[in-house]
Amino acid sequence: MTGLPRLRWPTVVLGLLAIVWLYPVAWTLANAIRPSADIYRAPWDLPWPPAIGNIGDAWNRGRLGAALANSAYVTAMTVAVVLLVSVSGAYSLTRLRPPGRAVLFIVVLAPLIIPTDVLVVPLFSMFRALGLINSLPGVALFNVFANVSFATLILTGYFRTIPRDVVDAARVDGAGRIEVLLAIVVPLARPGIVAVAVLVAVFTWNDFGGSLVLIQKPDAFTVQLALSRFSTFYATDQGLTFAGMAIALLPPLLLFLAFQRSFIRGLTAGAVRR
Amino acid sequence: MALLHGSRRERAIDLLFLLPILVILAGFLLYPLGYGIVLSLHDTRGFDMTSFVGLDHYAHAILGDAVFHRSLLNTVLFTGAAIVLLPGLGLFLALLVAETKRGRVFFRAAFLAPFVLASVAVGDVWKFLYAPFFGILATVGSALGLHTQTIAPLADASTALWAIMAAFLWRFAGFNMVVYLAAIQALPREYYEHAVLEGAGRFQQFRSVTWPLLWPHTFTLVLLTTLGTLRIFDMVWVMTEGGPSHATETVGTDIYVTAFRFLEVGYAQAMAMILLVLILLLAVVEYRFFNRRAEMVSA
Repeated sequence: MTGLPRLRWPTVVLGLLAIVWLYPVAWTLANAIRPSADIYRAPWDLPWPPAIGNIGDAWNRGRLGAALANSAYVTAMTVAVVLLVSVSGAYSLTRLRPPGRAVLFIVVLAPLIIPTDVLVVPLFSMFRALGLINSLPGVALFNVFANVSFATLILTGYFRTIPRDVVDAARVDGAGRIEVLLAIVVPLARPGIVAVAVLVAVFTWNDFGGSLVLIQKPDAFTVQLALSRFSTFYATDQGLTFAGMAIALLPPLLLFLAFQRSFIRGLTAGAVRR
Repeated sequence: MALLHGSRRERAIDLLFLLPILVILAGFLLYPLGYGIVLSLHDTRGFDMTSFVGLDHYAHAILGDAVFHRSLLNTVLFTGAAIVLLPGLGLFLALLVAETKRGRVFFRAAFLAPFVLASVAVGDVWKFLYAPFFGILATVGSALGLHTQTIAPLADASTALWAIMAAFLWRFAGFNMVVYLAAIQALPREYYEHAVLEGAGRFQQFRSVTWPLLWPHTFTLVLLTTLGTLRIFDMVWVMTEGGPSHATETVGTDIYVTAFRFLEVGYAQAMAMILLVLILLLAVVEYRFFNRRAEMVSA
């Protein structure tokens, strides 16, 4: 349908490319359970019997257990706050009538153009003044800001598909704003809200810059920060490093596989106008 | 109906629902931006401002800092290559996936998987893939009888930036593919039927129907790629920390090192403001370029 010959070759080419795309992931997972010595000696062999010890080493010596808990805490807090704030904001922008709505919409999207990267220095000063260095709620706050604009953008797309008449009729019948939001808008936009939750969870879990700048104490390390120290601290123990990488990349990968459809719907909702 | 069309008071209550976001933006965007501008005009000790120096930091960055020049050049080169390669690769994959009958869901997931992996993990994985002796290039090459045991693309100043680019393309091609694929699947069939009636071949169909209709998506992806690459920090930091000898230094890594290693905070913020101007400038240029072309197509 799209201008290429209708042959079987697309499938063949795609198959080869898919191998290239999946190979690094498979290689990492295989090396996670390969004895360190074999990574040099026999990198192509199946990792059998599996060197489960790598995982235990990464968990204990690399303090990955604590880092995973920290990351889970930051991610949960970020997702909760982003959802609250962006659902409410997108509702106001699409189904209520705040004054200056068009301008406000642009203001809300401004962080998409002005990335946190150009603000790291002032943000660091600010967080330091507020006593939010080495603070997990501080990292969560940073991630709330980094995610709130695109979350709101995606949700406005979903909320706009809810007929205005339905909302207005409920209001005329005497339902309050919050009642309409909870009883009509949220249930109808549920796929969008799930998509946003999954996207924000993955992006927050994967955030490196925020925790690199805001966290210095090993107790408060997130997974990404702990992992970034692995390859320098355990440079001679490749098995342990691979195990750490595998542990860190599995949660978002599993979340993606479980919620693939909402994940993709959310990603495209922002970019593909309907 | 007064309820719906809004007395002042009603509309003020409507605004309350937006207030949390506005407060977050005021605190995390407006204030740091203002503070950042002031900071960039001052000398600093630690993170505190000492004396006002006007535009000295800007002048030094633009005129006298060879490392910053290198990082700007690298960042622009990286962005220039990425805005062509990434949407290009995404479109290629999307066209192929749209064409296949079987395994569409599998292929979509396979290509998008790297996008959900953290930059630290991706950087580490590729660092190992590029490693001498046990990395993929080293082992595959020597299996083919080549002397590749000791090659190390990330340690060679002439290849390091492009080695990072390969990892970057691997990570983000799937995202570009997914956006194009959704757009392709939403294209109206009548256009193709019409083109076929007029005798258009498959390449003609692509040129006169698919490509122009995907133009808004191409714009979105080029803009997103630009925004992502001009600020690139984490993958570069994990893979090379800007080395060897600044060969992969980007403005992002330069700012980080200058602020948090050398503690030249005011100067680092001046570099950040220059980066912001560059980002805004390129966004405007791309917007105008794509809109002009869109008018030409529709005319």
